[in-house]
Amino acid sequence: MLRQTTLFLGYELRNTLRNPIWPLFGLLQPVLYLLLFAPLVANTAAGGSQADTLLQFTPGVMMMIALFGSLFVGFGMISEIRNGYLERLAVSQTWRPAIVLGRTLRDMIVLVVQALLLVALAWAMGLRASVPGLALMLLLMAATGLLASGLSYGMALALRDENGMSQIMQFFALPLILLTGIMLPMSLAPDWMQAIAQFNPLYHAVEAGRALFAGDFSNGSIPLAFALTLALGALTMAWSVSSMRKLAG
Amino acid sequence: MIIEAHGLKKTFTSRSRKGPKTVEAVKGVDLSVESGEIFGVLGPNGAGKTTTVRMLATLIPPTAGTALIAGYDVTGQPAKVRENIGYVGQAGGVDENAPGREGLVLAARIGGMSRRQAQARSEELMAAFSLTDLADRPIRTLSGGQKRRFALAVGLVNRPPLFFLDEPTTGLDPQNRANLWDEVRDLRRQGTSILLTTHYLEEADALCDRLVIIDHGLVVTEGSPGELKKEVAGDVVTLRLGDDARIGQELLAAQPYIKEVQPEEDTLRAYLDDGEHNLPLLLRALTERGLSLKSISLDRATLDDVFLRHTGRSLRDAA
Ligand SMILES: Nc1ncnc2c1ncn2[C@@H]1O[C@H](COP(=O)(O)OP(=O)(O)OP(=O)(O)O)[C@@H](O)[C@H]1O
Ligand SMILES: [Mg+2]
Repeated sequence: MLRQTTLFLGYELRNTLRNPIWPLFGLLQPVLYLLLFAPLVANTAAGGSQADTLLQFTPGVMMMIALFGSLFVGFGMISEIRNGYLERLAVSQTWRPAIVLGRTLRDMIVLVVQALLLVALAWAMGLRASVPGLALMLLLMAATGLLASGLSYGMALALRDENGMSQIMQFFALPLILLTGIMLPMSLAPDWMQAIAQFNPLYHAVEAGRALFAGDFSNGSIPLAFALTLALGALTMAWSVSSMRKLAG
Repeated sequence: MIIEAHGLKKTFTSRSRKGPKTVEAVKGVDLSVESGEIFGVLGPNGAGKTTTVRMLATLIPPTAGTALIAGYDVTGQPAKVRENIGYVGQAGGVDENAPGREGLVLAARIGGMSRRQAQARSEELMAAFSLTDLADRPIRTLSGGQKRRFALAVGLVNRPPLFFLDEPTTGLDPQNRANLWDEVRDLRRQGTSILLTTHYLEEADALCDRLVIIDHGLVVTEGSPGELKKEVAGDVVTLRLGDDARIGQELLAAQPYIKEVQPEEDTLRAYLDDGEHNLPLLLRALTERGLSLKSISLDRATLDDVFLRHTGRSLRDAA
C-alpha cells in the first residue's frame, strides 16, 4: 500500500516536473498580489510600514495558493474518468486509495515549494517573520492543501462533470475568500460578518498564519486552525478515497 | 475453461425527469471460453458487448448471474480476478499527459515488478509494438492508432493469462488493423486467452476461434465462424427482381437446391450450397417463369448472413 502510494507519487511528481510551467504560472497571481496589493494596503490608514503589512498580508496570500492551487486539481481527473484511464487502473492490481493519496501528496509538495518561493519574494520585499512560525505555517498550508485536494478529487469523482464542478466552485469561492480576510483584515468588517467568518476554517487558518509569523505562539487560533484543517482534511480525503474505491464495481 | 459465465444480466437504472428508467443492457448471457483461444463477441451498437466485458472484468457487478474467471468469482474474489486479466477498454485508457514509457513502467510496477524488471519489460513490449521511437512523447501527441498500441502494451505488461479487448480495432487503418490481428494471434501462440468484442464481421471471421453473436443483450448463436456459416449455407445469391419479388421468393423457395430465402429491402438473398453449379439452374427457373432480373450476384456466405438468419436484420444496418 505504501509502495503503491509512493509509486503514484513519483509518477505524478515526474509529470509535474515535466511541465513545471503550470505550477509556476499558478504562482503568478499571488506574486502580483504581493507586489501590487501590499504597497497599496501599506498606503492606507489601516496599514503601517511595508514590513508590517507584509507580516499581515503574506499568510493570507499563502492560504490563497493553498486553496486555489488545490481546488482545481480534480478537473484533470474528470477527463481521466472519461478516457478510461481510471477504469483501467481500477481493474489492475492497484490499491485504489493509492491513486488519490499519491496525487494529494504531490499537490502538497507542489504547494510547499510554491509557498517557499513566495516567502522568498516577500522576504526580499522586507518581510521579517518568525522562522519556527514560518515552518509551522508551511505545515498548516499543507494541511489546507489536503483539505482542498480531497474536496476537489471527491467532487470530481462524485459529479464527473466539469461544468457542474466549476459552477459549485464559483459559488463557494468568493464568500470563502471575502470571509477569510486575505485581502483586508476581518477587523474592518461589520460584526455580523465577523460572526459568520468564525465558521470559515480558512479564516482561522489565516489568523493562525498571522500569529505564527508574528511569533505569537500562545495565540489560541493556532491549535484551532490546525485541528480544524486536519479534521476537515481527513474528512475530505476519506470522501475522495471512498469514492475512488467505489469508482467501478 | 478460463471464462465460465451463466445467466449474466445487467439492468441499468437511469434517473430522468419522468422518474427512473431502466435499460436491460444484458438480458442473460452464457459464455464459456477455453484457455488459449481467441473468443469473439460480435454484435451491433448497443447490443451489450461492452457491458458484458465490464462485468467479466469486475468493473460493474452483474444484476444477476455468475461468472468465473480463471476459477475465481467476479463478485466474490475480484482481486484474484484482476491478477489474471488485462483489460483494454473501448476508450483506450492511457494517461494522456505522460509519455508512454512512464505509463508502461508504472503499470508494470503496480503489478509487482522491480524497477529494473519493469523497465526491461516495457522496452520489450515497446519493441514488439513498434513504439520505441514514440516512447518519450506525451501520449496526447500520438495518433489514435499509436495510442491504442500503447493501451494494448499497458494491458499486457503483467503477462495476464486472459486479455479483454473491447473493440480493439475501431478507428485503426487497414494496415494497423492487420498488424493488431497479427499481434493478437501472437498472443494466442504464447498461450494467452483473448476475449474481444467487435462489430466488424470480417474481424470476427478472420481472427476468432469461436464467437457468440449477441443482439439486444442476448446470445443469438454461438460457434466457430466456419460452423456458423455452414449452418446458413456455403453460398448466397443476391437478386434484384423489381416488381415480381413476391412471386420470385416463392419460386426460389420451391427449388430443391435452395436452403432458404431471405427478403431484404428490395433484394432477395437465396442460400444454397455449391453456388457455381446451381446458379445456372436458378437462372433457368427464373426465365421459365418469365421473371425479369435486374441484377444478380453470387457470394460466399458471411457472418452477416448468420446474423440476418437469426435476427431478420443485417448487421450492416442493425445499428
Ligand atoms: N451506464 C449506463 N447507464 C445506462 N444505460 C447504459 C449504460 N451503459 C450502457 N447502457 C445501455 O446499455 C446498452 C448496451 O450498451 P453497451 O455499451 O454494452 O453496447 P455495445 O454492444 O458495447 O455497443 P457499441 O458497439 O456501441 O460499443 C445500450 O443500450 C446502452 O445505452
Ligand atoms: Mg461497446
